[in-house]
Amino acid sequence: MSLIQTENLTKIYGSGETAVTALDHVGIQVKEGEFVAVMGPSGCGKSTLLHLLGGLDRPSEGGVSIDGTAIADMKDDDLTKLRRKRIGFVFQFYNLIPVLTAVENAALPVTLDGVKPAEARKRAAEWLERFGLGDRLNSRPDQLSGGQQQRVAVARALVAEPALILADEPTGNLDTRSGDEIASLLRQVTKEYGRTVVMVTHDPRIAAYADRIIFLKDGKVVDETQLERMGAAEKIANKMKEIGD
Amino acid sequence: MDADPARQDRITALSLIGVEPEAAQSLQAYLIQEPGRFLQTDDTNATVISQTLADAYGVKLGDTLKVPSVNGIETLTVVGILPPRTVPGNEEVLVTLAQAQTMTGQAGQINTIEVALTSLDETLRGETITAIESALGSDYQIGAVQSGSEMFASLKLAQAAFNMFGVLALFMGGFIIFNTFRTVVAERRRDIGMLRALGAKGSTITGMILMEGLLQGLIGSGVGLLLGYLFGAGIVVLIQQPINQFIRLTMGKPVVSPTLVVASVLLGVGITVLSGLIPARNASRITPMDALRPSVAEVEYKRRAGAGFIAGLVMIGIAILALATGNMGFISLGGLLFLLGLILVAPALLRPIAFVFGRLTAWLYARQGTGDLAQGNLTRQPSRVTITASATMIGLAIVVALGGMSTSLSGMMGSLLHKSLGSDYLFIPPSVSVWNSDMGSGSDFTNRLQAIKGVGDISSLRFSGSMVNGQAVSLLGINPETYPKVSGLDFKQGDESAYTALANGRAMIVNGAFLMTIPVKVGDTVELATPNGPQTYTIVAIASDLLNAKVVTGFISQANLAADFGRTDDVFIQLNLKPGVQLADVDAQIKAVAVDYPQFTVIAGKGYIDQMLQLLKAVFAGMYFMLAFLAFPSLIAMVNTLTISVLERTREIGMIRAVGGTRKQVRRMVVAEALLLASVGTAFGILSGMYLGYVIVKALGALFPMTYSFPLSGILAGIAIGLIFGALAAVIPARQAARLQVVEALRYE
Repeated sequence: MSLIQTENLTKIYGSGETAVTALDHVGIQVKEGEFVAVMGPSGCGKSTLLHLLGGLDRPSEGGVSIDGTAIADMKDDDLTKLRRKRIGFVFQFYNLIPVLTAVENAALPVTLDGVKPAEARKRAAEWLERFGLGDRLNSRPDQLSGGQQQRVAVARALVAEPALILADEPTGNLDTRSGDEIASLLRQVTKEYGRTVVMVTHDPRIAAYADRIIFLKDGKVVDETQLERMGAAEKIANKMKEIGD
Repeated sequence: MDADPARQDRITALSLIGVEPEAAQSLQAYLIQEPGRFLQTDDTNATVISQTLADAYGVKLGDTLKVPSVNGIETLTVVGILPPRTVPGNEEVLVTLAQAQTMTGQAGQINTIEVALTSLDETLRGETITAIESALGSDYQIGAVQSGSEMFASLKLAQAAFNMFGVLALFMGGFIIFNTFRTVVAERRRDIGMLRALGAKGSTITGMILMEGLLQGLIGSGVGLLLGYLFGAGIVVLIQQPINQFIRLTMGKPVVSPTLVVASVLLGVGITVLSGLIPARNASRITPMDALRPSVAEVEYKRRAGAGFIAGLVMIGIAILALATGNMGFISLGGLLFLLGLILVAPALLRPIAFVFGRLTAWLYARQGTGDLAQGNLTRQPSRVTITASATMIGLAIVVALGGMSTSLSGMMGSLLHKSLGSDYLFIPPSVSVWNSDMGSGSDFTNRLQAIKGVGDISSLRFSGSMVNGQAVSLLGINPETYPKVSGLDFKQGDESAYTALANGRAMIVNGAFLMTIPVKVGDTVELATPNGPQTYTIVAIASDLLNAKVVTGFISQANLAADFGRTDDVFIQLNLKPGVQLADVDAQIKAVAVDYPQFTVIAGKGYIDQMLQLLKAVFAGMYFMLAFLAFPSLIAMVNTLTISVLERTREIGMIRAVGGTRKQVRRMVVAEALLLASVGTAFGILSGMYLGYVIVKALGALFPMTYSFPLSGILAGIAIGLIFGALAAVIPARQAARLQVVEALRYE
């Protein structure tokens, strides 16, 4: 069964003559444990899609269901709690809180959920150790490298044991090596821990880590490619050229 | 007064002027209206008054006017009427010199000599004046008549207190403007970066911000002047009534001198521009990159126990040492050092204080997961938080300080009131403490009072003005025997045995205000100017009463006052009943006697105390009202800091919302932060307020015998105000933070 299903998902910004259609009747499905990359030229609506999938924004038309639950009509608080328990986010600029340590940052979603601080800390520490940050638990973000900060962010996305991870350009602010590390970490998240990952990127090399790529252009799905591992990057690059990047 | 039963009599303060008719007319033109005439040397009970006064009482030429005198009511016949008065001041009742001397009980005495110089030649006039001056010595003033110099001294004291408030207000204003500019610069970070990217120089940006400061300073000063004038006019209207109880004084509109306007504008604009200087310089350091880069809130991580911290500690140490010296000058200076020291120490103390209060909010918001965040957010920018906390600190310090002062003052006033004004009856003249404008009463009045069955001890104050080393001094004659029984002084040095010393020779007890203007010790001698040349008096004690506390006053025996100054009229009388006698038994008789002396208001003692306490309350209420004006800006400062804090953390807040923080949690985070901020300010405010309160009480202690009482009410008020302000300040920023659209916030750069 699909974990995510969208139907006629449409988002229009503004109204009247200045209206911009960011997403135009998009219908996609993502299976449990799948690693999907969303690609497309700038302004194609990939971030909008991600925001709608995560319940951060509301569609103008159509709907999203996660685990069979339609999220369009949920109240803000319920939607927030759904995000807290079922969805993890990874952002381009890490968005760690500078005054909190690595472990406190990673523990934030469970702390917000009312889990006792000691317990929350323990869970966060486990994830950080898995990601090789066992010795940086009490470091503050400014004492960590970009790659390390993004790993803390991935740990934060996983700490509440969500089914779905949404990553918005997770490597956009990193050098190639750190970018590869994060991408393979996300792959590990799907393969080893069985989570579903939807990642927005414009970097073919990073998209190559995914199982499947959805191409968007002008708010519409224009293509989908199932990837074999070998030579994926070139294939994707060609595909991007094809759709007229 | 005018014997017209249809018209109700009014009692108004008049000036009784005795003149030598012929000499007076040669010095001044008296334009008597036809068919009246001016006074003549052999007139008795004749008077000349102005048209205004005549109209006020409905008297015509040939009518009589009843005027109080030391011998009871005197009936004067109006022989002439002058045109209406144009100069402000009391209405004058002109009589012959001899008449005035009888009516005031000052036979053979004159206060003022007017001299006309015959020559118009400047040099000759100068020489004449010098010759007169040297002949008279330093005990006489030449030139325009200046009365009430004692009152002037007490006004100067009040002015000093107001100036202190002014300095504190400016200080706080500077803080708040500084804070506001920082908010403005933070909000426009991207715009400024954009300007830089387009080629604006750093100095252009500084100039831009400073120009804005200049404009705002001008607008603010203008509005401030206008509001200040209206506020002043309002106060004049409000206090006219209570003041009239003491002095017949009509206040005009507030005076706005050009100097005041220039000084206000300079201060207003100066403080604004000065406060904008650092934010403007910081704005010039914004790089073009800031326009492109997401703004990530800066965090100061370095330990703040640097030079500033140590300097602050040293200042606080000195301030505490200053307290120990007991020297007023040191203590006042210590007050300033204490405030500055706290501000310097604050950044380093912020973390531990926030930690302690953080536990509290964490407990309040148990299992919300936002308490730690608030604490962390607060400590990430110690210097900014310190500035805000300092504004709150100053505001609350004033509240607590004045709370301490009013607690101490009302305690002291209460006990002093009972001690010095606790007699069964008081006979109060129109002007208390500025005695020279009062018409006293002769011995006939007290004799008649004494004759009433049931009346016990009577004590009175008699007045004469004098001078010591060129300083105006108010001399009060007391009866050393009855005064301590009916009234009493509060001794700072010496004791009741001083009364015996007064009875036995030229001895004088001086009050706190005397010491402040003329530095003397017990045992010293001073020369008092008397109508018959200087006389030497020994100072035997330092003691104050309530009525004269603000006025430079010496107490001598009535016998000496009569012998050296020729004054025997009572200006203030207190009376006790014999034990067991009820007020009701004698009330009618006492009032019947007092009818002949309308210059006195008769009050049963307890009533007067109540009246005074009421007045005191009103004064404090007015003071707290002014405090509100000072405390209010700290609210704005807190709103500013929280707003910057929310602005800078827009992305963080978006992230918190994305990973599952509800709107409520975000709101609570900001509120918790506000409460922490307020707690820090409150903690500092109470500390410095206690010091300042001590300073004020100590300063007033020179005038009034008072001890510092712990201002519990002030502290509780401070805590309440601090926390309420904290919560209020959070309202707008918290709502702003909670309403952020997640997607917008995440995109925010």
